[in-house]
Order: sequence, then structure tokens, then C-alpha cells
Amino acid sequence: MNRIFKYSAPALGLLGLAVGGCQPNIDAPAAAAGTADFTSYVAVGNSLTSGYSDGGLYNEAQATSYPAILAQQFGKTGKGPASFAQPSFAPAQQDGSGHVKLQIVNGALAPVVPSAANGYLGEKLAATGSALASGQPQLAAYTGAQPDNLGVPGISVLSSVSAFTGGLAPYGLLNPFYERLLTAAEKPSKDYVTYIGQKTPTFFTCWMGNNDVLTYASNGGVASAADPFSNLTDTTRFGIGYRAILGTMSKKGTVAGIAANIPNVTGIPYFTTVTVAAVAAAFKAANAASPGVFIQTSSTTTPVRLATSADLLTLTAQAVVATGAGSTPSNPLPNKYVLDADEAAAVVARTIQLNAIIAKTARQNKVALADMNTFFTTVAQQGVAFNAVANSSAFVSGNLFGLDGVHPTPRGYALLANEFIRNINNYYGASIPTVNINEYRGVVFPQ
Amino acid sequence: MMLKTLLLASGTLLGSAATAAASGFQINLGGQQNIGMGGVGVGLSLDQAAMFYNPGALAMVRANGVQVGANFALARGAYASDNGGAQRDLQHLLVTPFNLYAAFGKAGKYKFGVAVYTPYGSQLRYADNWEGRYSLTEINLQSVYVQPTFSYAFSPQFSVGVGVTMLAYGSVNLQKDLPLPTGPAHLTLDGTTKFQVGVNAGLYFKPSDKLSLGISYRSKIDAQVKGGNVSYSGLATGASAPAVNRGFTATNFDATLPLPAMASVGIGIMPTEKLTIGFDASLVFWSAYRTLDFAFSGNNGNGGTATAANTGLVGGSTTSTSKRYYQDALAFRVGGQYKATDQLILRLGSAYDFAAVKDGYVTPETPDADRYIATAGLTYQPNPHLGIDASFQFERFAKRSQSQSDLLNNGTTDRVAGTYRTDIFIPGIGVRYSF
Repeated sequence: MNRIFKYSAPALGLLGLAVGGCQPNIDAPAAAAGTADFTSYVAVGNSLTSGYSDGGLYNEAQATSYPAILAQQFGKTGKGPASFAQPSFAPAQQDGSGHVKLQIVNGALAPVVPSAANGYLGEKLAATGSALASGQPQLAAYTGAQPDNLGVPGISVLSSVSAFTGGLAPYGLLNPFYERLLTAAEKPSKDYVTYIGQKTPTFFTCWMGNNDVLTYASNGGVASAADPFSNLTDTTRFGIGYRAILGTMSKKGTVAGIAANIPNVTGIPYFTTVTVAAVAAAFKAANAASPGVFIQTSSTTTPVRLATSADLLTLTAQAVVATGAGSTPSNPLPNKYVLDADEAAAVVARTIQLNAIIAKTARQNKVALADMNTFFTTVAQQGVAFNAVANSSAFVSGNLFGLDGVHPTPRGYALLANEFIRNINNYYGASIPTVNINEYRGVVFPQ
Repeated sequence: MMLKTLLLASGTLLGSAATAAASGFQINLGGQQNIGMGGVGVGLSLDQAAMFYNPGALAMVRANGVQVGANFALARGAYASDNGGAQRDLQHLLVTPFNLYAAFGKAGKYKFGVAVYTPYGSQLRYADNWEGRYSLTEINLQSVYVQPTFSYAFSPQFSVGVGVTMLAYGSVNLQKDLPLPTGPAHLTLDGTTKFQVGVNAGLYFKPSDKLSLGISYRSKIDAQVKGGNVSYSGLATGASAPAVNRGFTATNFDATLPLPAMASVGIGIMPTEKLTIGFDASLVFWSAYRTLDFAFSGNNGNGGTATAANTGLVGGSTTSTSKRYYQDALAFRVGGQYKATDQLILRLGSAYDFAAVKDGYVTPETPDADRYIATAGLTYQPNPHLGIDASFQFERFAKRSQSQSDLLNNGTTDRVAGTYRTDIFIPGIGVRYSF
């Protein structure tokens, strides 16, 4: 009996292996371009489009910009671009403008900004040593042909049109990220609308307008008199500028593309990480009589008052708070570290107005619209779980936002790319595969 | 047959069992003759495997005997992500559900017996670095029941039986990757279950030579793991190690997995001496499985000096809950055998099992779906005492898709969106000796 079993068992096992050789197949829908043609793809936008992360533009983060991810996924439809050029830095200058790093400081993890004092964290910077008219350090010129990723960190709709520069030097002499893309002859004369008009894509993405509210918001609602682009952009000039940009790229509705609107910036970690409650608690711990956090506001009637939970403190306020600012009425937290409740409301209201212009212009030019405002609000409130990994908008630990508290990590950019793809698929009847965002990194921890 | 011997046999031979038959992680591979007939057996009294299908029928089994059988289940699984991209194939594990029966007594009057079988189990291993690695990379669930049984025939028409089901051995091994900011690490939860007792009882009624009826019920047993082992590999080693690893201090876990109750009815029809046909319907009470909860404890020092606050953490939490919300699942089986000669019996069967896992709740550990089952089998009897049974069972799972929005809506984002497909091929062999 045992012998029979002994001899037949391996034979049956082999039989199982033989018949089990047939692997079940899942017929997944093939990737397809739908009515769109991605053979020549161009991306227009600001820092978010350029792949800027951790307070800087550098090759590694740029390689995972959402346009780069889109170009790669477009390629899977068989009607993608043969190449997608990004204005990268030379390998010896791969850290570009330099970027913030997470390091161990006094036994705890802390973001460290590169500076002369810390040897620029050993980064390979692309600074030439000269400064631009804006005071920002000049970056090494990009010498290749005009790239396909036209994202320029810092650019706004307002600063894209030379007529709006308000008597200042042309934008090509002010913004180091734009300056490096232009030839010497172009710098004083070529505005961004003209620059992007040199491309003739079959498909484009356009994500402009963020800096028309973000520059003001991130500076705590303080506009600089010297910088005409530092206030909330008014709707009239935004409309003129935005119609020029989208009209240029869509060739008045004949080129397919997608426009994205402006997310509500008050939900980014830059404004949500340092909270009034936490600072007040720290003051209370140091001095039990502390009534709370005193802030300077933009209101002329009550320039200094106790902060409430409706006032947003900037990520950069951390260092100032550490010196005691905000603990007494005579030493309030300076205005530029506080987006007070009135300012925050103004930013939100303006965002809604500008998004209405974006939506209408997209319709007029027959391009798809990615509602990044709604998408971002959902992410900020609920986080995103993807293939069993939880991600959120929490600073550092949330995986999605880099160390400047404003710009995404590569994983955050992959998430944005998926949202663009979802909207493109809907509008153009395409089936472009999305990416596994878990394959893209979050914040880099020191090893 | 000594219980101790049986337990030893189970430990060395039973091994693990694939998700082989019936929904969820139930295995309906009780005896080779029954398997060849689509898994019917509640309304039949074929052999000693009646202890598994319907203890009430045991007293009606003519001969005393011992029998042993094993199956060689080979699952072929595929997964395609919601995001597109290449299909992922499961790594193939050959697993061997096994059973052993011995029964003695007075024919047609009473029988004592003991059964050893594996009613629930699952073993799956996904491709390296697959999309769902942070949900599951590998699972191995095992359960071995030992069931002393007594069956009594009140008349040639009616018998009853009851068995004490003892969860003699149960084990769980769950592995997944951890998405640390310093790179993937690996978590292994490994434990064995406590001894538990339940009941398996049945009634058998044979109004005529051509008809028999059966009802059976096997009660739920909670497989409880106390003080299972938690281990990690690949945790952060560099400067970030104290910050990252302090959320992983647990060394032990407790968990409970229900092995649900099952109720079955069956009919046997014997139109001629040579032909037997059976129909079974079973209901498995999977709704008992609502959540999979782990409670962690212990401290390995990753969080510095042990305190109440840093003890028992996995991913920064002392517990983990995963929603299952299974539904009760029906299965229908039909099969027959034909005695071609005195030496040869031929069998065919078919079954349909409904999935226990609801839409939006499919996990990589049980990528469950409605199943179509086809079986065939034969017996070779060189003499009246010896029977060699062979069976073959094929299971095809319906394609099962789960979208990301399903997961979000149900709050079950601890698993992965995508499409699963599985086929299982199960050859089996058994030997019976009766006297």
C-alpha cells in the first residue's frame, strides 16, 4: 500500500505540473491614444512642470517631472514622442540650483538648506558666481535646442507677457531659470509667450497660474514694492495673459492639449505644518502665562493681534519662532511669516476667480481641463492610498511633498501625472496606462 | 490507530494546502472517490471519508477499513494591475492537502473512527517586487483537524453520527514588504494556533436501495494565535535608523481567524447496481469573518529604552485591522460513478462555488471568485479488499476585478486594485484497505 503511494505520488505531481503549465491570461485593454496624437509633446508651466523639488531644480527630481512621466506613458500608446527633452544641468552640475536635504541635526531629522556656511551640503551646483538683476544667482546656461519641457520655476501668467513687466528689466534678465534657457540676444527681448510659441507640438500640457497666487501667499501676504509679480494677479491681466498662452499653444483650438487649474495653496504643508496651536503650546510650555501667539497682520486697524486657528503660519516661521518671535505683543511674528485669515480668504477667492478664467479659456480653445484644485483638496483632506501604501500631504512623512513644503516629491509628481492621464483618457477617449506611484521616491532620508 | 501517530503523520505529511476548493480558503478535498464525483458525499456512504462529508453515513459504510489520500494542488494565478502594465504571475507552489481515515465496528450497526483532514488552508507567493508587495508577498495558512467519530445506525434506513473536531494544528505565516522612506523592508508574522474543539455531526437516511439522503453540519472553530512571532528584515541601518525603526518594536502578535461553520445537504441516487449519482448543496457561514485584527506586543529595543509608549509597534501602531466582511457562500455539486467492471469504477463530476469575498474586498491573500469545477476519477480494485483511487480536479476562477474607487469607497485601501485570475489543477491519489 505504501509502495503504491510512494511510486504514484511523484508521477501525479509531475502530471499536475504538466497540465498546470498553462498560465491563465488576463486580457487587459491595450494602451491607445484615442483621438489624441502625442508624437510631439510639449509642456508649458512653472516650477511644478519643470520638476522642481525640495526648494530647487536639480537633475534627479527633474527626471521625474510629471511631463517626463507623461511622455513615457504616452509612448506606451504607440503614438508617443520619440524623445522628450528636458533642460537638465550638466552631470558635473547635477544639483542645479541646489536643494534642501533632510539631515540629522542634534539627533533629530531636520531639513537643511544649502548655503556657503554648510559647504552647500556638498552639492554640485550650477551657479556661475554672477547675480541677476533680481539678486538671484545666475545658473549655467542650458545649451541644447529648445527643450520639450518648457516649465520655468517662478514664472506666473503675469510675468509671461513682456507688456506686464511694469518698468522692470525684461523677465529674461530677472529669473535665473528662464535666463539660462535663452540666448544672449533673446534675454532682454523674448517673453515666455513668444518663447513657447516657437514650438509646434501635436499635444501640450499647460499648468500656469499657480504663482499668480502662490508668490503672494508664500510670502505671508506681503507684496514687495520692488517686484511687480509679488502680489495677487488681478483678473484682467491674468485673463489677457492666460488667453495668450493657451491660444498660442492650442493654435486657437486646433492643437490638442490639457490645461490644469490652480490648487488651493492654503492646503500645502508650507502652511499646514507649523500650526498656531503647536506654537502656542510651545510658548505655554516655556511660560505658563503665555496667552498665545502674537502675529503681525496686514490689517491697518489691528496690525498686531493674537493668532487664531484661521491664521496660517509658514514653514519658514519655525526658525523665527525659535528665537522667541510671536511670544509678546511687542515682538510679534512678522507679517511675512503669517498668512492671516483675511489674506488666506483673499488668496482662496482669487484662486476661484482665476480658475474660472482657466476653465473658460480651456473650453474656448477646445482643450481638456484637469481640475487639480479639486484633486488636491481631496488629497489634502484624505491622503492617497495606492497599492496598499498610505500617502498624505503631511510634511516629510506624507511622501508626496518635498522639503520646501510646496513642491511635490517624485512620488507626488507621479500622482499628478496619473491625474493628468485620467483626464486625458476621459477627454480624448484614450487609454494611457497610469504609473505605480510607489516606484517613485518620497523624501530622501539620510542613510 | 493511535492519535499520536496521526498527529505525527499530519505534522510531517499534511504540509500546507492550497486554496483548493470551495470559496474563501476552504478546501473540499475529503476523499478521492468523492473528489472524482465533483466533491459530493453528504448523501452517500462510499467509504471511510464519510467522516469528513457526513459522519451520520459512517455506520452505513459496509466494511471496516483504513484509507489514506493526498492531493497535489498546483495553482496558476495571474494578476494585472489597474494601472496597466505587465501581467504578474504568482510563483507556483505545489501543495498537498492530505487525509487519513480509519473506522471499525459492526456493519450496519455502529462504527468508531478517526479522521484527519485539512478543511481550510491557503498558500500563495507573489512575484518578487509585484505591485501589491506592501499588501502581501506570501501567505501560508494551514489547519489540520483530527476528528474522533462515532456513528450509529438505528435501523437499516437511518443512522446518525457525531465527531469531535479538534484543531490539532494550525499555523499562519503572513509576509509583506514595508514601504519605509529608506527603502522596502520586510515583515513576517508567524504563529501557530491554540488547540480548539468543535463538532461535526450528520444524519443519514436511506429509504430505499435506490435513494439516500444526508444532512451534515460542521461547527466553526476560531483559530487563535497567541504570542505569534513578529520579525523584520531590511529595516533602516543608516543615520535615519532611530527615526525610522522606532515604529517597529513589536516582537509578538495575537490574532484570530475564524474557520467557519458549514451546513450541507445531499442526495444519492442509485438507479442501478452499477450507477451512483450524488447531489450536494453546502452553505459555508463565511459571514463570521468580518475583520482580521492583529494586536502587537513586545519590545525589541528599536525605539530605545522600552516604555509603554514604544512597545508593541508595527508601523507605529499597536494594532492593525483589515476589513474582510465575507458573505455566506453556497456551493452546488453533482457527480456520479459507474462500475464498469469488478475491478474498475469510473467517475465524473462538476461543481459551482460562489465567492465568499464581496466586490471591493478582494485581497491578494484570497483572490476569491466564483469557481467552476470539473472532476474525473477512477478506482482500480485488484481484489475486494484493496482499492486504489485516483482523481483529478480542475478549478477555474471567474475573472475578478477590483477598481481603485471600490477600495476607496469601502475603506479597504490596504489591498491592491487590479484583476485576478486563477486556475487550479489537483490530481490526487488514495489507497483504501478494507476488511
